Amino acid sequence: MYRKQVRRRRAVLALLIISSFALLTFTYGQSSDGLQRTVSAAFSPLQTVADRALKPARDLVNWFDETFDARGENERLTAELETAREQAVAGKAAVQENAQLRKLLRVDGTGVLALAGYKQVTGRVIARSPTVLYSSVTIDIGEDDGIRVDDPVISGDGLVGRIASVSGGSSQVTLLTDHASAVSAKVVPQGVQGLIRPELGDPEDLVLDFIDSSRKVGVGDAVVTLGQRARGLASLFPPNLPIGEVTKAPIDEQVASQQVHLRPYADIANLDFVQVLTGGSRQ
Amino acid sequence: MIVTPKILARLAAIVVGGVLLQLSFFSRVELFHVSPDVLPALVVALGLLGGTLTGAIAGFAVGFLVSSLLVEPLGATSLVLLGAGYLAGLFRERFDLHGSLAAPLLCMGLTLFAELGFVAVQFLLGIDAPVSALIARDIVLKSVYAFFLGWPIYLGVRRVLRPALVEEPRVRRSRRPTVLGT
Repeated sequence: MYRKQVRRRRAVLALLIISSFALLTFTYGQSSDGLQRTVSAAFSPLQTVADRALKPARDLVNWFDETFDARGENERLTAELETAREQAVAGKAAVQENAQLRKLLRVDGTGVLALAGYKQVTGRVIARSPTVLYSSVTIDIGEDDGIRVDDPVISGDGLVGRIASVSGGSSQVTLLTDHASAVSAKVVPQGVQGLIRPELGDPEDLVLDFIDSSRKVGVGDAVVTLGQRARGLASLFPPNLPIGEVTKAPIDEQVASQQVHLRPYADIANLDFVQVLTGGSRQ
Repeated sequence: MIVTPKILARLAAIVVGGVLLQLSFFSRVELFHVSPDVLPALVVALGLLGGTLTGAIAGFAVGFLVSSLLVEPLGATSLVLLGAGYLAGLFRERFDLHGSLAAPLLCMGLTLFAELGFVAVQFLLGIDAPVSALIARDIVLKSVYAFFLGWPIYLGVRRVLRPALVEEPRVRRSRRPTVLGT
């Protein structure tokens, strides 16, 4: 009797392990998308209810975390204020340049998105991946709202990611910090181009890779989407969407590895609302 | 564990509820910049109470549901969590669960196992991105959180599955002594 039980237990375990490998094979053969979309669509209303019901509790826990951070933040802001004062005193030229950069970096204030035919659809984040390797969120808008796969996703501060998968009433967003994310970008005002990739495990650090090492990039420089269009191929993102600010740009790293580090403008770890740019001139 | 259709429904509710709670709450709160991951602890609790089979099946189901809801590659999370559930069940079948710290310690240890296992599986599948040292902090803190959250999760799951638990010790009620001859 006991032997039979052990045999049955081992058989079930073997079956589960084989099933896991089979699922992995299906996933990499791209055969599982329909199944996942069906499950995701079925659970989407439940996730929305859970998200709204748990918001007060979430806010409470996050309040504790933010309180811990507040002391360090205060010191950092004081230092930043001092730097900003020095810059203001430095002269009108710098102020004018600053204003131009701000204008360039405004998400839709310049009408860039409207000119490119993009429509902004606002969605609420209803779920988030528990692992650091997959940086993705689920939002409560989907195909019914005009969302399509690969549509760019932004927050009030800048680019957040792109739509990876869509079902009727919900969509999955692959964030900039996901290991599969890669965005072509440029540093302004220098115009140095590169590819933005995540630094896994650190949501506040992105790497601008493959830059032209002969042109200097400095700390504080802004990074925006490149939005290149060539030979019938278009970037997924419209040009000049703000992404982040260069935080580390050591000369040796620029020369040897052709990369600099940046911090995303968007608070990717604490997203509540995002906007999806639908339509547009992207083909 | 005696598995009846009612108990099966309760197990399914625990799995679905746990996954929804993780994705809508725990993944979106941060303590020291790290979000707790209660799913390994949930699977460990089910393994401890139900044995290897229940632990492995629950782990597989939790992994499948999470991967489906987040449209992540299927199978990787299932593989790791079924391992955690199976090991928890094996612990229950081989050793007697003594002491109030056994469950949280096992939750912590197997969460560490699950997080490391998940990273290992992902690297075997290939990740083309630089990795920050902060990933180690993430894994360690998630395990520490599992220690503190493991005990309430274990108690909660035990309460829901109480009718099915064969080894559940009887609740002793204080009874007034019978006085004869008065």
